[in-house]
Amino acid sequence: MKSFSTVLVASLLFLLSASAQKIQQGGDMPLSVKSARVSQLLNEAWVLDSDQGEQFKAIEVMRKAVKIEPEFAMGHEILAQISLEPAEQVSEQKQAFANRGYANASEQVVIEWFQNAADHKLIPAITSMNEVLHQYPHDRWLVFLATSWLMEQTQYERAAAIYENSGLTNSPGLVNNAAYTYANMRQFSKAFSLMDKFVSLLPKDPNPQDSYAEILRMAGYYAVAIDHYRVALRINPQFYSSQFGIADTYLLMGDEGRARQEYDAAFKKFSSLGELDRIRWMTHQATTYIYESDIVGADKAFQSLAEYSHSMHLCQAEAETYRQMAMYQTKTDRALELLAKAESAVREGHNVSAIHAHQEAAQILRTRVEVAIKAGDSVMVDSSVAKLAQLALNSDDKIIDSAFNGALGAHLSYEHKYTEAIAHLEEDGNNPLSLQRLATAYRMTGYISGARHTEQVLAKLNDLSVEQALVVPSFRKCLQNPTCDVGVKDAAMKVTH
Amino acid sequence: MLCWRKLLLFGLVIAAPCLVQAKQLAVVTDTANPTTNLTAAELIKLFNAHTHTWADGKPVIIVVRDPASSDMELVLRKIFNMTAAQAQSFIEAHKPSIIVANSDDAVLRFVSTNRGAVGIVDLYSLTKDVNVVKINGKLPVEQGYLLRGN
Repeated sequence: MKSFSTVLVASLLFLLSASAQKIQQGGDMPLSVKSARVSQLLNEAWVLDSDQGEQFKAIEVMRKAVKIEPEFAMGHEILAQISLEPAEQVSEQKQAFANRGYANASEQVVIEWFQNAADHKLIPAITSMNEVLHQYPHDRWLVFLATSWLMEQTQYERAAAIYENSGLTNSPGLVNNAAYTYANMRQFSKAFSLMDKFVSLLPKDPNPQDSYAEILRMAGYYAVAIDHYRVALRINPQFYSSQFGIADTYLLMGDEGRARQEYDAAFKKFSSLGELDRIRWMTHQATTYIYESDIVGADKAFQSLAEYSHSMHLCQAEAETYRQMAMYQTKTDRALELLAKAESAVREGHNVSAIHAHQEAAQILRTRVEVAIKAGDSVMVDSSVAKLAQLALNSDDKIIDSAFNGALGAHLSYEHKYTEAIAHLEEDGNNPLSLQRLATAYRMTGYISGARHTEQVLAKLNDLSVEQALVVPSFRKCLQNPTCDVGVKDAAMKVTH
Repeated sequence: MLCWRKLLLFGLVIAAPCLVQAKQLAVVTDTANPTTNLTAAELIKLFNAHTHTWADGKPVIIVVRDPASSDMELVLRKIFNMTAAQAQSFIEAHKPSIIVANSDDAVLRFVSTNRGAVGIVDLYSLTKDVNVVKINGKLPVEQGYLLRGN
């Protein structure tokens, strides 16, 4: 048996030698590309997707690459990850997995990682990701895939650590990714520094200006954000993201009429958008009516969007649209009718993977809990939470987990069980509805500093979701309302943009 | 523009900033350690240096992050029930059976190469070089797991 002191000395030496080990780790992960042409296409896709924000072009390039080499499993995996078409995401993941026998050992680990993630097997997905990252911490594709996946999982700290460890500070695409990571962590000074760097690396490219604008908007600097979007459009008038970005910014500024005009102009100018992009911005345009409390206008816009999604066989988008409609309804029956339509769309199952269908089902149940609480129907609250618990029990998916915790936290808050509610609401801390309840729960249990912090975060939130439209404007209006809750107002007063 | 398809696909659901981030921590041991599950009480005894050996007789070596770091807040609250300063003194008093590491990677390296070592890391730092120990029969990804929270 080793003595403790021997162990201690050995361990200290071990920890000290850690940095030396890093230096010995490899540079780029080898890829099983057979031809120089496909290798060149891969580089092209990298520059287009990660640096220049030209997703459609990058996707086209990757389609070409896998057409030339259909057995290039890692090529299929990259396409699966960057594709904007749900059906293609599903089919390319299948292709990657089916062809993994042609891939090298490291590529196989990457494919395992995403296959496990798709199968709700989170721990094996994480260990596979870390295994391959440990071997190739400086590989740009790996760092890009990992930081992007972690952002999807809302694991921003881990994403930032991987970026910092990569040392890839001159890769424009990774600088861009890192800036968004820090912005999501509300560390805006770091995000702005990275944006300055991104602009300096690609001064003649619109994407850095577009990203800068979006991050400025997240921080609440609307006017400057619009300036940056306009600079991006001067560089490249076809950079559609910036045109829609201007509309999104007017929406968050509370100028709904101008926002709608800008959306109309953008849709007219860019008629050949990808379906998911089109649906995203149609949703934002429909949301303008919620900000105006115009239920009729919102219903008309969302219904048209649901029908469009249905016609395109995008069942998740259709379900999501009906779910969002249910959220702002004032009549319980109407909300339940819309949720039934959402559930029916998910059941149809067109162009959606099993994991995405389960995630959407969880979101619908979570909304059902909100509707039931609003109606004071505790039987429906209980049954919906129970169904959601069952769904969460059989998965280790972050989104399903958050939906369950948000729903249970809402249920417990409704019953004034604030102490029990806190742990669950914290697990759904990205949702404005949960955030608002969390602030109340903190305050009711005497954790005043936590309540103030949460309220400040909520007041500063600049998200384009329906949840934001339902929660944040009324919270901000507190500033002008003398009868508003004193604690909330006090927190809101501290908000500075 | 951030080119990441999931943010587009689920933009309305998950592409939200980190407002209140709940942590998920994993208890890890070396892969030769046969212990697969601990009760919360056993875990607390282990980390509070009341348990000195594993069931197979190997001595326990605990490796933790700096008690002053934000990564340790949940551990201090749920396992040590101490302030950062109290935990610092406790660790000093129990050297060398408790070791402080400066990162999750360092915890993992130490645990994977020292028989009897046990540590706590962020779920997303996990590697295949260690075993994840269940607490009260639950893995970190399961509802009701002890080491989850803000």
